[in-house]
Amino acid sequence: MIDISSTPWQTMVAHAEATYPNECCGVMLGSIDGDSKSVTIATPLENVSAGSQTARYQLRPEDLLHADREARRLKLDLIGIYHSHPDCDAYFSETDLKNSCPWYSFVVLSVQNGKFHHANSWLPNAEQTASEKEELIWPKS
Amino acid sequence: MAKVLIPTPLRQYVDKKDVVEASGASVAEVLTGVVTAHPSLKKQIYSDEGKLRSFVNVYVNDEDIRYLDKEKTAVTDADTLSIVPSIAGGR
Repeated sequence: MIDISSTPWQTMVAHAEATYPNECCGVMLGSIDGDSKSVTIATPLENVSAGSQTARYQLRPEDLLHADREARRLKLDLIGIYHSHPDCDAYFSETDLKNSCPWYSFVVLSVQNGKFHHANSWLPNAEQTASEKEELIWPKS
Repeated sequence: MAKVLIPTPLRQYVDKKDVVEASGASVAEVLTGVVTAHPSLKKQIYSDEGKLRSFVNVYVNDEDIRYLDKEKTAVTDADTLSIVPSIAGGR
């Protein structure tokens, strides 16, 4: 289960809507207790995918390195990655799966007509052949 | 010994440590030392063919080894290695 607090959730939704019709991406920091993950900080990162970004995103590895260092400095954990799907559902696509990493939660935000619509969290396997839906809790108000 | 920073989800394979140390004169030697000491970590970062998984990047301090000498990159006891995934996607 991954529970996202109000402040990081607002950051993620605002980022996804501001980036529309392109895909956005970023990292989520927080704490982990067994299978229970609590996100307290969301940090938008640059989508460095070459070409059109309406259906693609790519994170710069150096940005992930710096995010991990920031998490260590704050005594937090790098829990997961978020990105948006403009004008489509929050599924974990073949492209997402083939370019994923099994270590993190992947939260996908569906943005439809420029507004947040719904979200899901996914856990890809080590072989990048399948992903499992993870319970996602976000502030509904 | 060189330090290797362990990402949170992989700490379960290294006795819950966030950093481990291993001897070696190259990235390959240091990582081999780490997975020898912590065998359950091996499947996470190496494929069945014994190569680093496609999504695994390794940094020596601030440098990506892809732009140095890859896994032959020299390492000293003063160096810190980081394991950083490649992540991308799209609808």
